[in-house]
Amino acid sequence: MPDPKKVSPVDALPAASRAYGEIGRHSGKPHWGMVVDQERCIGCWSCAVVCKSENNVPLGGWWNRILTDGDALDEPRDERGQLQMAWLPLACQHCENAPCVKVCPVAATYHRDDGVVMMDNDRCIGCRYCMIACPYGVRTFNWGTPERPTPHETGMVAARPLGTVEKCTLCVHRIAEGQVPSCVWSCPAQARIFGDLNDPDSRVARLARDGRVLLEEAGTKPSVIYLSPRRKHEL
Amino acid sequence: MSAGTLGIAASRSTGRWGLALWTAVLLVMMAAGLAAFAYQFANGLIVTGLRNTMMWGQYILFFMFFVGLSAGGLIVASAGRLFGVTAFKPITRLAVVEATVAVMLAGIFIIPDLGRPERVLNILLHPNLTSPMVWDITIVIAYTVLSMSYVWLYTRADLARRGSWLALGTGVSARELARDERLKSILAWIALPAAILLHSITAWIFGLQISRTFWYSAIMAPLFIASALVSGLSLVILLALTLRRLRRIDFEDRLVAYLGALLGVFVVVEAFFVGSEFLTAAYPGVPDDTGPITRLVVGPYAPLFWTEAIVGLVVPFVILAVSRTRRRPELVALAAGLAIAGIFVHRLNLLLNGLSFVPIPLPPGVAIGASQADAARSFATYHWYVPTIVEWLVVLGVLAFGALLFTLAVLVLPLREHLVEEHADI
Amino acid sequence: MAPADGAPARSGRDHDVPNSLLVDRVVRTTCSPNCTGSCGQLAFVRDGILVKIQQAADYPDPSYSPRGCMKGLSYLNHVYGPDRIATPLIRTGERGSGEFREASWDEVLDKIASELARIGATWGWDSIHIFGQVPGSGYVQKGANYRAAALLGMTHGTSFDFNGDLPMGMPITFGVQNAEHEAKDWANSRFLLLVGSNPVETRIPDVHFIFDALDRGARMAVVDPVFSPTASKADEWLQIAPGTDAALALALCRQIVVDREVDMEFMRTYTDAPLLVRSDTGKRLREKDVVAGGADDVFVAWDERSAGPLMVGTGRLGFADGVQPALLGTHQIRLATGAVVTATPGYALVAAELERWTPERAAAITAVPAERIVSLARAFSRAKPAAILMGAGSNHWYHGDLTGRAFALLSALTGNIGRSGGGFSVYVGQYKVRVDTSPWWNPDGRKAKVCPTVYFVRGRTATMHPDVPYPKNGWHALFCTFANLFVQSMDVNRLHTTLAGLDLIVVVDHQRTETVRWADIVLPATTWYEKTDLTATPLHPYLQLQQAAIEPVGESRSELWIWRELMRRIAPDLAAKYFEMSEDDAIRAILQAGGGAGGPTEGITLEQLRAGPVRLRVADPDVAFVAQIADRVPFPPRSLPAPLEATAAFIPTRRIEFYKEDDAFGRLGEAVPTYREPFDEGVHDRTSYPLTLLTPHSKWRIHSSYANNAWLAEIHGGRPEVFIHPSDAAARGIATGDVTVIFNTRGSVEAWARVSDAQRPGAVTLPEGWWPRQFHRGKGVNELTSSAVNPIHEVRYLGNMWAPSTGWKDCRCEIRKAPEERRA
Repeated sequence: MPDPKKVSPVDALPAASRAYGEIGRHSGKPHWGMVVDQERCIGCWSCAVVCKSENNVPLGGWWNRILTDGDALDEPRDERGQLQMAWLPLACQHCENAPCVKVCPVAATYHRDDGVVMMDNDRCIGCRYCMIACPYGVRTFNWGTPERPTPHETGMVAARPLGTVEKCTLCVHRIAEGQVPSCVWSCPAQARIFGDLNDPDSRVARLARDGRVLLEEAGTKPSVIYLSPRRKHEL
Repeated sequence: MSAGTLGIAASRSTGRWGLALWTAVLLVMMAAGLAAFAYQFANGLIVTGLRNTMMWGQYILFFMFFVGLSAGGLIVASAGRLFGVTAFKPITRLAVVEATVAVMLAGIFIIPDLGRPERVLNILLHPNLTSPMVWDITIVIAYTVLSMSYVWLYTRADLARRGSWLALGTGVSARELARDERLKSILAWIALPAAILLHSITAWIFGLQISRTFWYSAIMAPLFIASALVSGLSLVILLALTLRRLRRIDFEDRLVAYLGALLGVFVVVEAFFVGSEFLTAAYPGVPDDTGPITRLVVGPYAPLFWTEAIVGLVVPFVILAVSRTRRRPELVALAAGLAIAGIFVHRLNLLLNGLSFVPIPLPPGVAIGASQADAARSFATYHWYVPTIVEWLVVLGVLAFGALLFTLAVLVLPLREHLVEEHADI
Repeated sequence: MAPADGAPARSGRDHDVPNSLLVDRVVRTTCSPNCTGSCGQLAFVRDGILVKIQQAADYPDPSYSPRGCMKGLSYLNHVYGPDRIATPLIRTGERGSGEFREASWDEVLDKIASELARIGATWGWDSIHIFGQVPGSGYVQKGANYRAAALLGMTHGTSFDFNGDLPMGMPITFGVQNAEHEAKDWANSRFLLLVGSNPVETRIPDVHFIFDALDRGARMAVVDPVFSPTASKADEWLQIAPGTDAALALALCRQIVVDREVDMEFMRTYTDAPLLVRSDTGKRLREKDVVAGGADDVFVAWDERSAGPLMVGTGRLGFADGVQPALLGTHQIRLATGAVVTATPGYALVAAELERWTPERAAAITAVPAERIVSLARAFSRAKPAAILMGAGSNHWYHGDLTGRAFALLSALTGNIGRSGGGFSVYVGQYKVRVDTSPWWNPDGRKAKVCPTVYFVRGRTATMHPDVPYPKNGWHALFCTFANLFVQSMDVNRLHTTLAGLDLIVVVDHQRTETVRWADIVLPATTWYEKTDLTATPLHPYLQLQQAAIEPVGESRSELWIWRELMRRIAPDLAAKYFEMSEDDAIRAILQAGGGAGGPTEGITLEQLRAGPVRLRVADPDVAFVAQIADRVPFPPRSLPAPLEATAAFIPTRRIEFYKEDDAFGRLGEAVPTYREPFDEGVHDRTSYPLTLLTPHSKWRIHSSYANNAWLAEIHGGRPEVFIHPSDAAARGIATGDVTVIFNTRGSVEAWARVSDAQRPGAVTLPEGWWPRQFHRGKGVNELTSSAVNPIHEVRYLGNMWAPSTGWKDCRCEIRKAPEERRA
C-alpha cells in the first residue's frame, strides 16, 4: 500500500526544474538514444556520480565511468611530440545487436521495444555470461552484500539482490515519467543529448549523423553515439 | 594424484581399513566443501578471488576441464564399437563410468559459480535458445543420461547374473543379450556425435564471443575436442592402470601401448591446433591479438604456457612416440599424467588470458565491483587472479564427491569383462 | 521495433519496471562551498533522509543550467558519512591527539562563553581571532561571525587575501577588490587567453561557456607550466616557466605597441596614460603644483593642440572635443613656485618599460619561444573582443600583483576592458559581497575589526600597515569556523608555533578534519542541507537561498544558533537586542538594505528566493566596468561592503592606473608593471632546491572539502600524488608509485610519485587540499608553503581588498625517494 503522504520525485519537482528534464518531442515509436560529445566532456564524472546516487549503486560498482584517452586518469598521451587527452564516458550502449542479450541463459537481460536493454534482477541467476559477452565491459556484479559510504541507501531505485548483474538502465524509471536519464540532466558541460533516434528531426538524431559508435567492427549497433574531440586550430 | 594411488596401498595391506580411511577422507572433504559453499552462498561470490575484472575462474576452469575429461570414456566405448577396435573391450566399462562421473562433476561445478544458485531452474523454465550456455546445459544433461545409459547397458547383463536390483529386473536371455548389442551400437552412433557436440558447444561458450579476442576463433571447437581427447584418454589410461593394480579389471600391457600410441596422436593434434591458433593470432601483428599471445609466450603467463607446451605436450609426445618407452606402462602413465596436467594448464591459460585484461583498457579501467580498503584499487585494467581458500574447498569437495562416486561404482558395478562372453558378444 | 539479434523480444511480458521510488519532498537549495559555483540543487528526502542531490537546473537564463558537479552531487556522503560530527566534543588528551569526550551543548557553550570572557577581560577581546572563510558562500551564517565580532570586539580574520585569491593587481590598477565578467559572457569572446587558469577542472559548472565560444569559431590559448585538462581543449598551449607570466604579458604588450595596434583612444580616455608624472619626485603633477590654491585631486595632462598643460579632474572620464592630451614625450611645466619641472605622461613611462620586453628577452625568462609570443600577441590583438581569464596559477605568487597589472595592461591596450566578450577577469574564490550586508554584519553601525589572518599565522611584519587592528597583547584564542586552518594555512609549521600561545581553540565543523583534531572544543555544525542561508558568486548574477531539506543530523546546529547561545551567556543584553533575529529576518534586512533604486536587490523578496534563483539588479550581461566604459563614470565601481571612498582611495586619479606614485612602489621599482623573479628563489637556492612546488586546486576537492568522500576516492585513488616530469624522476631514481619526500627549509611531507608527461621539468605538482592523514607522513603540503608578505600589499590596508595575498606557488623544494625502511 503506497504511503499516501509520499509523492513521485518527478511530480514533486519545481516547475522550472521539471521543464528542464522533459524528454520533449518523440515519434510514436521511439528508439531512445544518446549522443555524447567528447569535445564537451571534461572528465568530471558528474554523470557517473549522479548515476551512482540515482540508482543506489553500492561501493565498488559503477554503471557509468569516464575513461581517459591518455596514459592514466587525467594524464595525456604523447602523440608524436604533441600531448593529447580526451575523455570517453562509457556505460551500457543499449546495443540493437546486443551480445549480452544473446548469451543470457534465462533471458534475464532483454530488449524493450524502445531499444533499452533491460535487466530483470529477479530472474538473473548470476552466471555473469553477459559480462563475458559485453565488449564494452559496462556491467557490474553484486559480488558481496552491498556496502555504502553511509548507513543509508540512495536514489530512486531499489537495491538489486546479491549475486545478480546490474548495469545502466537508461533510467527507464525516469523515462516512464517523461524525464531524461539522470546523467543527461546532470552533465554540467552539456555534453549529453538524449532523445528519439527514430525521429529524424530530433536533436539527438541530427547530431548522431556526424558521430561514430564504439567498436563498430563488433557489429553491436549501439544506441549511444559519440562525437569526436574537435580539431585544434592555428591561432 | 588420482584415485588410484591411495587405493593401491589400501588393497595391498590394510584392505578394508584402507577403503574406510579413503571414504572418510573423501567425506570430510565433501563436508568442508559444503560448508565453504554455504559460506559463499551467505556472503556472495565476494569470498572468491573473482571480481568484475575477472568474472570467471576456478569453478568454470574445472567445469571446462571435466567436460573434457568426460570425452575419454565415450571415445573408448564408441570408437571401439564403431571402428571395431576390440582391444578396448577390457576397459570399456571403466571408461563409461569415468565419462559419467566426469560429466556429472562438470555440471555440478557450474552451481557454485552462480550468483543465485537457487534460481538455476530458471534455465529450464525460461531458456534463451540463442545462448550457448543453454545449449551446453542441454547437452550436458543429455550426455549424462547417455553415459549413464551406457554404463547400465554394459553392466546390465553381469548385474542380472548377480541378481542385483540394479539390473532393473532384466535378464540374460539370448534375446536380451542381443538387444544389448543392438542398443550398444545405437548408443555408439549417438555417443560419438554427442561427445563432439558436448565439447564444441562448451568451446562455443567461449569461441563465439567477439568481446574476447583471445577466444574469438573458429579453432576453439576443434581445440576443445583435441584437449578433451588428450585429457579424457589420459584419465582413462590412469584409471585403468589403477584398477588393474586393484585387480578390478584386467588387460595386457599391449593395450597400454596401444592407448599410448593413440594418446600420442591426440597430443600431436592438440599441439597442431595450439600452434595454428598462435600463428594466426600473431602473424598480422594487430596489437589486440598479439597482446594475449605475447603475454602467454614471454609475459606474466609465460611459466604457465611453457609448462603446458613442454611438460604437457612435448615430453608426453616424446615418451609416446618412441616405441621402447611406449611399451612400458609406467612411462605411459607418466606421459598421461603430464598430458592431463598440461591440458589443465591449457584451460587455465585460456581463462586467464582471455579475461584478465579488460575490454577497452583505457584508464582507470573497469570498476572492481566491491569496495576496497585501498581506494586506489577500485578500478583496474588488469586482474591477477588467485583463487581463495573458499574456492579451493568447494572444488576439492566436488572432486571428493566425484572420487566417492567413482569408488562406489568400482565397488558396486561389475567392471571386469568376461573373455568368454567377449567372444559371444561379437 | 524488433531487436536485430534474433533474441526473443520481451516487451509486454510480466517484468514490470517500477517507477521511481517515492519521496517525502523535494527542496530547492544551493550548493556553495567556496568554489564559485553556487549551484542550485534539489534535495530529495525520503523518510527524513536525504537520498539524492541533483541540480535544480532552474536558472531563468537556461544557458546557465544545469551547473553542479560531481562533488556537490556526492555531498550525501558528508551529511551521513563516518566523519560527520554529531555531538559537541571536549578535548581530553594533549592538543592534537584527537582524544575527545562527548559533551552536552550547555556544557560546551558555558565553557566557551566563560573562557572567551576571561580571555577578553585579561588580554582584550581583540586577542580572539575568528577565522571563517569567504562570505559569498553564506552571507547569513558567516555573517553571524561578523556580527558577534562587531558586538564583542573580537578580531575577525580575512579569507580572500589569506587564500591568495585576492588579485592585488586589481585594487592597484582599478581600485576595486576584484571585478569580473559573468561566465555567460565567455561565450561572446572571439579569443580566450587563459593564464594560470584551468576551468575544465576548477570552473566545472561554467566551462561550457568556453565551449560555446569555441563552437562559434573563437580560439583559445592556455598559458600553463603543466598540460592541464584545459590545455587539452585549447588551440594553443604555451608551457611557461612557473612564475614568469608577467614577463610574457609585458612582451605581449610590447608587441601590440610595436605593431601599432594600441587603442590609444581607450588609453587616453579611461586610464592614467595622459596624466603627467614629475621626473623630480616621481609623483603625479597636480593642479596645486601648477596653480596656487589648486586642488590636490585634479591632475595635469599636456594638450598637444594648445601646447600647454591641461587640468584633468576626477569627476568624469574622457576629454572634451578640441583637446588632444599627449601620451608620449617629455614636457616642461612651470610650477606655481616658478620652477620648471620635466613631466612625462604615464603612458610614456609604461612604454619605456615595455621597450625592454622584447620577445627574445621574454623567451629567455619564460621558455616560451619568441615567435609564439609574437603570434599570440597578434592573435589576441586582432580578435575582438578578446578576454583574459587569469587564475590562481598566475596569481598565487608573491609578485602576483605585477602579473595582474601586466595582463590588465594587455587588456587595456587592446581596448577590451568593459566590453562584452572581453575583459580581464580573475576568478578564484567566492569572496564577492553582492548584496548590502551592513544591517546584518554591522549591528547599529558597529563593525568587526578585520585583521588579515596571515598575521595570526606568523605575527606582524615590520612593514605591517598601521590600520591593521593587530591585537596589542597578541593572539590568545582561535575560533575557527567552517575552515580547515590546520591543513590549509600557509607555512603550517609556523602556525603551530602560534598555537602554543593560545588559551583556547574552538572549532565549528561538520567533518572530522585535522583542524578538529587540534581543537580544545568542537562544535558540531549543520551542513547547508540543514539550515538557511543566502549565497551569491562572482561567476553568475543570481542570488539564491540555501534551504533546509532535513533536520540537523545528530545535535548539530547552525552558526547563527551557536552565536546566539554564546551571546546569551556572554552578554545577555547584546544577545536580546541583536541576536534574537532568525535567518529569515537577516535575509529580509539584507534585501531591504540593497533594495533602493538601482540597488543590487531592488525588488527582490524572500518569497521569490524560496522558489528559485533571482537575478541581482546588475547589467545583462554582467560585465566589469560597464558603467565606466559606456557612461564614463569615474573608476572605481563600489566593492561591497566597503564604502566607495575606501577603495577609490586606491586610485586617486579615479582612472585605471598603470603608474603608481606611492613611495613603496617607486622604491621597489614597481611604479609601472614590470617583472620580478619568484620570491622564494631568494629563500631557497636553486642548487639545493631546484624544483618549483606547484599546489593547484584539484577538481576532486574544493580545497580540503571532499577529500574524505568515498565515491570520489574510488575514482582518484584516495591518496596524495606528486606529479613529476620523467626527466626529473629519472635523475632521482623515482618511479610511479614510489613514496617520496618533498621538502624545503619550512617543512617536509611524504606522498606517492606519479611520473607524468604533462609536467614541466623543474617543477612538481602536488594539488592542495589533501588531509594529513592521507599523506604517507607529514602535516600536508602546506608545511612547505610560505607566509612571506609582499610590502606592496601593505602600502594600504583594507581587509580582503588591499591586504597581503598569499603566494602559494612561490615555493621551491627538492624531492627524493623515501628511505627504504620508511616505505610502507
